[in-house]
Amino acid sequence: MKQQTKLSQKQEHITEQQTQSQAAKEFSNADELLRFDAAQTAVPPEIAERLKKSAEKIQPPEARSWWKNLLGH
Amino acid sequence: MNEPVAGQSVEGGTPAGWVSLEFARLYDEHSRAIFYLALRFLGNPQKAEDATHDVFLKAFRRLDQFRGEASVRTWLYRIAINHCQNLCQSWHNRNIHASSDDIVFEAAVAKTDSPLRALETKELGQRIQKTLDALSEEYRLLLLLVADEELSYEEIAALVGQSSDAVRGKLHRARKAFAAHFEKTV
Repeated sequence: MKQQTKLSQKQEHITEQQTQSQAAKEFSNADELLRFDAAQTAVPPEIAERLKKSAEKIQPPEARSWWKNLLGH
Repeated sequence: MNEPVAGQSVEGGTPAGWVSLEFARLYDEHSRAIFYLALRFLGNPQKAEDATHDVFLKAFRRLDQFRGEASVRTWLYRIAINHCQNLCQSWHNRNIHASSDDIVFEAAVAKTDSPLRALETKELGQRIQKTLDALSEEYRLLLLLVADEELSYEEIAALVGQSSDAVRGKLHRARKAFAAHFEKTV
């Protein structure tokens, strides 16, 4: 029983170490780090919605179709 | 992406229709780069959203002024940089740092080019922002521009109004300053 507990503790420890090494990331320089960060950054969809409304105010009706194209409606 | 030239008709489409289609492509292709620059330069997601909206709206208004002499990406970056710098100036921004700050940090890491290590990628964004906030506006901008692999040193130099050699030298120092500040954010 005691041996089993020790074994499971050891396994837990190994799993923890594996999780940490999976989460750990190394970047050779700032450029690489910032590229990774940029790739993780999503553009909020609200911007396109707002842009659509703003552009409608300044654009003649026949030139609005690209917004439908962009937003899918 | 083909370089759009104002007023040119493509495949028989009306100029207005062409502009619409091209602008949709332009937004799809470049919005991430512009949003990312605004986000990390301004350090505030809401302000970055506003800035991205304003930059693309300006581009939309000025599409007829684009002559294809530079790449679309560079053209958009120019609008974005001017916009963000104006915002910083008008806020009387807290991000004004004496260049001596950077020199201190450069000296601290001058002996090493050790890799930047991050245990938790979810916290990475906050650490990066803290690090960039600690740098001078000039270093921050150079690092953000060089991180975009689509830009050459010559294009970066043109965007910041300096020679390529000056940009290379400053980038070398900016990377060191970044590494030193980044280690302190742990």
